[in-house]
Amino acid sequence: MTNIASIPYFIPEIVLVVFAVVIILYDLGSKKTGGNGAAYLGLVGLVIAVITALVIGSEDRSLFLGMVRLDSFAMFFKIIISVATAATILFSVRSSELDPETKGEYYALLLAVTLGMYLMASSTHLLMIYLSLETVSLTSYILAGFLTHSPRSSEAAFKYITFGAISSGTMLFGISLLFGMTGTGDIMLISSKLGEMFSQGDVYPLAVLLSITFILAGVGYKIASVPFHMWSPDVYEGAPIPITAFLSVASKAAGFALFIRLFYSGFKSADASIDWSMMLAVVSALTMTVGNLAALPQQNVKRLLAYSSISHGGFLLMGGVLLTSEGLQAILIYLIIYLFMNLGAFFVVILIANEVGSETIDGYRGLVSRAPLIAVSMAIFLFSLTGLPPLAGFAGKWILFAAVIKEKLYWLAVIGLLNSVVALYYYVRIVKAMFLESSDDTESLSFSPGSLVLLLIFVVPTLLLGIYWNPLYELSRASLGKLMG
Amino acid sequence: MSKDLITLLLISPLIGFLINGLFGKWLKNVSGWIASLAVLIPFIISAFFVFPAVRGGGELKAMLYEWIPIESLNIGFHVDALTTVMLLVITGVGFLIHIYSIGYMSHDSGRARYFAYLNLFVFAMLILVLGNNYLMMFIGWEGVGLCSYLLIGFWFDRKSATDAGKKAFIVNRIGDFGFLLGMFTLFAAFGTLNFDQVFGLAETNTYEQVFGASTLIVATLLLFIGAVGKSAQIPLYVWLPDAMEGPTPVSALIHAATMVTAGVYMVARSSILFNLAHTGVVVAWIGVLTALFAATMALAANDIKRVLAYSTVSQLGYMFVGVGVGAYASGIFHLMTHAFFKGLMFLTAGSVMHALSDELDMRKMGGLRSKLPITYWTFLIGALAIAGFPLLSGFWSKDEILHNAWDSGHQIIFGIGLLTAFLTAFYMFRLIFVVFHGESRVDSEVESHLHESPPVMWIPLVLLAIPSLIIGAIVGWGGEHSAIHNFLKGVTGFVAHHGKAEHSNPVPFMIISSIVGIAGILVAWFIYRSKTPVSEPTNPLHKLLANKYYVDEIYNAVIVQPIRGVSHYLFWKIMDVGIIDGLVNLTAFIIRGIGGSIRRLQTGVVQAYVVSMVIGIIIFLGYYLFIR
Repeated sequence: MTNIASIPYFIPEIVLVVFAVVIILYDLGSKKTGGNGAAYLGLVGLVIAVITALVIGSEDRSLFLGMVRLDSFAMFFKIIISVATAATILFSVRSSELDPETKGEYYALLLAVTLGMYLMASSTHLLMIYLSLETVSLTSYILAGFLTHSPRSSEAAFKYITFGAISSGTMLFGISLLFGMTGTGDIMLISSKLGEMFSQGDVYPLAVLLSITFILAGVGYKIASVPFHMWSPDVYEGAPIPITAFLSVASKAAGFALFIRLFYSGFKSADASIDWSMMLAVVSALTMTVGNLAALPQQNVKRLLAYSSISHGGFLLMGGVLLTSEGLQAILIYLIIYLFMNLGAFFVVILIANEVGSETIDGYRGLVSRAPLIAVSMAIFLFSLTGLPPLAGFAGKWILFAAVIKEKLYWLAVIGLLNSVVALYYYVRIVKAMFLESSDDTESLSFSPGSLVLLLIFVVPTLLLGIYWNPLYELSRASLGKLMG
Repeated sequence: MSKDLITLLLISPLIGFLINGLFGKWLKNVSGWIASLAVLIPFIISAFFVFPAVRGGGELKAMLYEWIPIESLNIGFHVDALTTVMLLVITGVGFLIHIYSIGYMSHDSGRARYFAYLNLFVFAMLILVLGNNYLMMFIGWEGVGLCSYLLIGFWFDRKSATDAGKKAFIVNRIGDFGFLLGMFTLFAAFGTLNFDQVFGLAETNTYEQVFGASTLIVATLLLFIGAVGKSAQIPLYVWLPDAMEGPTPVSALIHAATMVTAGVYMVARSSILFNLAHTGVVVAWIGVLTALFAATMALAANDIKRVLAYSTVSQLGYMFVGVGVGAYASGIFHLMTHAFFKGLMFLTAGSVMHALSDELDMRKMGGLRSKLPITYWTFLIGALAIAGFPLLSGFWSKDEILHNAWDSGHQIIFGIGLLTAFLTAFYMFRLIFVVFHGESRVDSEVESHLHESPPVMWIPLVLLAIPSLIIGAIVGWGGEHSAIHNFLKGVTGFVAHHGKAEHSNPVPFMIISSIVGIAGILVAWFIYRSKTPVSEPTNPLHKLLANKYYVDEIYNAVIVQPIRGVSHYLFWKIMDVGIIDGLVNLTAFIIRGIGGSIRRLQTGVVQAYVVSMVIGIIIFLGYYLFIR
């Protein structure tokens, strides 16, 4: 579809841009500082973007001369990302970490990063993929360093930039190799070219291997998989908690969207000779193990959740090494479930950081008597993250493991199961502190009704999706659409 | 529409449970009424299910949703004639017992918790009988077990109550283990747990022979072990008498009318399997031996609730004789009549306790007939019904079972059953004469505030007494062609007449069992009309009975103590502390070490991070270049 004809199908993205600009203008114009007008403008923008996206529908269309694709797969991720962004905006309003004076840019940047993620989920051209990745990265650097008064935050942003620049440079190198070999940037064409080349023996496998490995550096950095994960604990710890939550969910989801498009639409034909799926299986096993083991000794709940989110990335990757649609379906389902339970857990961290002023496990002592609802909700999120039935996390893991076992990758399933046991240990440490240990402070904490309602929005799906996941199953099946061919 | 009916029927006690469980603190006296309403709604719906048209001709199926997308492990329900009978018993008797509880528990501070548990129990029981596969049945089965445990130990500040709760739970686990194994066997053989599919495949003999020709025998016997636990049959009956530690309405609802009959329901539901496997004879023998054994223990018990508990065990035995000899409809018929008259008797016993400040010992009662007239007359109706007095409800159902036992060629079972019927009439009227007739032996202090129960308690008694009187004649008149048989015909299928083409004439059987029942009453009158039961048994047989054949002591010596010893020394001291703890600590130590070193990798130096990334890429490439 030509550029002009594509514009009507690009309205959601345009809405995000417009609202980002409007927020900045509003912030300039508004006299009082500390209001939440910018945040609500951001929410309105997101809602309009999602509504227009739904109205436009998800019929398969190739936009902007094959740069971007509009399909049910992209739609699925756009909605997940929008929900995560909306939650992040609401968290930010409630977080006392952020400086009220700079909130305008903050929300504009959040919309910009959302735009980048929309594009990550829908790009089908190497150039567009790189651009969207950079859009997300650059805005994320700023957001991670948003606590200008905190050296930790600045340090996080600096590390993020350094590491990100090197990864994206490596990826760009891989992209150029691929372009050189195939003469095109369109991943569908690349797929057929690679297949042709491999079948005719007209290819130097090392070059393909190099380019795929280098591209993996970029993708692996976004989903924080070993050995491209090193930035994430420091960044997650230093960034404002709402941004940590956002990065651990939305950034990961967008990364997986990009990964699935690239590797399943583009490189699938190369798997027969390069066997990248086995390489990724090892990466997946390493990622979950490293994430879990590093989480074990953590005393800081935020950092603990950061490591645990690395290990969840490893779990998610399990579904991506199977080359089956069941595997991809498992990823999509797990992402939705992960969205609710992980955002919920981070929201509790925000609430506790606000009220108790502590991010360490010690700050959670005796929480059940001080704020029973919060403590019980946190326990639900943590048990769900572990994967205990009948909570949503169990459903996610069940579907994931079922897909792995169906492909007879037993060793990977065993490592995954062992990791779940390890995860139980450190999650339960928090639960133990909340329920079994007592604290010197005993006065009960009070939270605004809005916060409690927001908390319930995460608790209810975490409970419900564990016993009734059929709609998820259908949704994920429909969202994969023609992706697997 | 029909699916919505099932949903509403199921969800109503669940909502009752949630309301009382979450907000009970603020509800005070309202909680009992909410709980009662939550059971009344399902009762009204169940009443509609009696008409086959509501069920869509015969059977109503509703797949609520798929939980785990595996064939046949669905949250699916169905309603057929058998389920309808069970639904009516559970919700009908259940509703009256809820109402009664409002009065009985009015002084208890934990009544919101009590009603929450009671509603939860009804919910689990409904799942048990509504499920269309063995898994759903098992979920309900475990659910009622849990509620039973919670309610037996309701007064958890009494050690005897918590002990009894634990005993019930542990003994039931043995049975549940059998049930689980039976389920696994069925799944291995049939690849499904759906009733329709399992029974269809079994009838056409198209299933995996996991245990060769005896696959079905193994499966049905394992399932029956579950029934033995849940329905308190030999050798797992020991928990039921102790379960009387719970509040008396609980004994009436769970340990007489509904939960303990789940095993009978399960066998009737699986009638096709039991017929094909020919394992009914085992069921019938266990049943009749339990009936006799429990009846003898009831002869010497002095605790009013224990007499009723042994009587329940004994009557459950009868039901198993019924379903065991292939007379499934008769077994279910007795289940229904028993629910009415035994529920009634437990509630009247509760009424006596209520009047006597929780006195349970029959030796401290006597002469209560004039003080508690409603209680007396309603109890008398229940006792006449269970004794098989002509034309009362128990007469019809018990007679059918004995008659079917004879006709199916089990003359010895018939004989033992008849003897048990005599003993039943005897011990029931022993109880009546000792408690309600003769001289009053009540403590003077207690006697001063002796009073009949309030209307909220005696109205349910009267409402239960009416069906105890007449329900048998209404639905049981006409034997093979009676209402209950016609109703259940589609589900429980044929009555197996091993070798005999048709029924013999029922009238002689009716006359014989009437004579036996009346004889039991007369003997009791002759012995106990004025005599008080001796406090210390002197003759050895009496002593043996009074000590319940020392079965608890034998179990303790033969099973509990050895297991404890082995557990303590072998499993705890050596295996657990030595080997397992050691291994666990070692693993934890190693993992913590690795975790620590991984943490040290995370130095915070960004150059190191980049180096690790580069090394990672090199390893990938190296692996593919040199190793593959």
